[in-house]
Amino acid sequence: MSEELISKKDLLELTNISYGQLYRWKRKNLIPEEWFIRKSTFTGQETFFPKEKILERIEKIQTMKENLSLDELADVFSPNLSELSLEEEEIIQKGIASQPVLNIFKELNQEMKKFSFEQMLSIYILEKLLRSGDINLDEGKMVLHVMNDYYHSIKSGELFFIRKLGISSCFVVSSVDDIYFEKSTKIVTRVSLTNCMEELKSKLL
Amino acid sequence: MNMNKNRDLIINGFGSSSGGEFDLASINGKGKVHGDIDCKHYDCNGFGTVNGNIKAETVKINGKSTINGNVDADSITIDGHSSMSGEVNTEKIRISGSGSIGGSLRGEHIKINGKASIGGDCEAEEFDSEGLFTIGGLLNAENIDILLYGDCKAKEIGGQTIRIKQRIHGFMKIVKSIYPTRLVTDVIEGDDLYLEGVKAKIIRGNNVTIGKNCEIDLLEYKGAIEVDKTSKVMKTNQL
Repeated sequence: MSEELISKKDLLELTNISYGQLYRWKRKNLIPEEWFIRKSTFTGQETFFPKEKILERIEKIQTMKENLSLDELADVFSPNLSELSLEEEEIIQKGIASQPVLNIFKELNQEMKKFSFEQMLSIYILEKLLRSGDINLDEGKMVLHVMNDYYHSIKSGELFFIRKLGISSCFVVSSVDDIYFEKSTKIVTRVSLTNCMEELKSKLL
Repeated sequence: MNMNKNRDLIINGFGSSSGGEFDLASINGKGKVHGDIDCKHYDCNGFGTVNGNIKAETVKINGKSTINGNVDADSITIDGHSSMSGEVNTEKIRISGSGSIGGSLRGEHIKINGKASIGGDCEAEEFDSEGLFTIGGLLNAENIDILLYGDCKAKEIGGQTIRIKQRIHGFMKIVKSIYPTRLVTDVIEGDDLYLEGVKAKIIRGNNVTIGKNCEIDLLEYKGAIEVDKTSKVMKTNQL
């Protein structure tokens, strides 16, 4: 999965943003430092970006900046977890998850009234997976377990769900460049935790 | 550790402390602090060495201060000589004496009247310099205003409005005409650029005005361009 890169010059032309904006967004941490890839070209040093990621991010910033300030936007994209917690009704109201999914979560974590951001993320991912029909209920519980146990140590990365000859399994990886499976293993679904986090945060705001 | 924030740490002669939480931490003689300081005001008038991080509302350095750690403060004023080995995060910083920062400097307003050297990146909304500086990484600010008093260096410069002007005054005029004040950098990128005395490999901008005494390898621009005849531009590209 070697990523296609785009140079800074081409990016500015393609997206019609100015240097000032790009640098401002970088300062506000709307664009992560690791996306700035420096390479030497025949004209000297040039900065490149992972094309798909940066285009998606810029589109998001541009659509969201109309109703959010840059600082609020920074909160959306920052991996720091907001310290808020929501009640059951609010979660349903904000369209993060449906009642049945919440019930599954409550079944596993006895008696809870307030949900932290981390828990909401698990619920949100579960909702997403179940809704897509890729996994069934028991498998969903497995996903929840993995998220609960390892989320603290990862915070960003991808959740993989695989199946081989009718046996399913799932795991979370913190950074993937290349990942290869045996032929009969099928990747049922993969979910980027960072994307989910952003989606969830935009729902919360 | 005692959580009582009302106590002060005051070292007037020779002394050392292991840090902690204070209202005022003031070093007037020769003081050493081994450990982190969390205080409202950190004042150093003598020789102060802190082996730890400082978190404060105001940091004032008039003497000579060495901080082996990170500094996190609302406002920092350096009139003496200060070296900070780690990252510095602040709202406002004014360096009138000499300041060296090992890591990156982040702030809303950065003002340099003396001499500053920053190992990492330098990020601000307003960057205002009337002195000398060396920046190891990227200088990134909304508005960059630089009056060159001597040789300045930055790896890269980026922002919205960038104005760099040469300043020559008094009898130094004669000396400086032989050794002109310069800013050396690899890349300058911004929307509105006004440059004097800049030696750069690449300049990219929207509206670019090249004033006197510039040496530029490649100039790329979108909108308008103006080049003074005392400047050398090897290659110009309109995008």
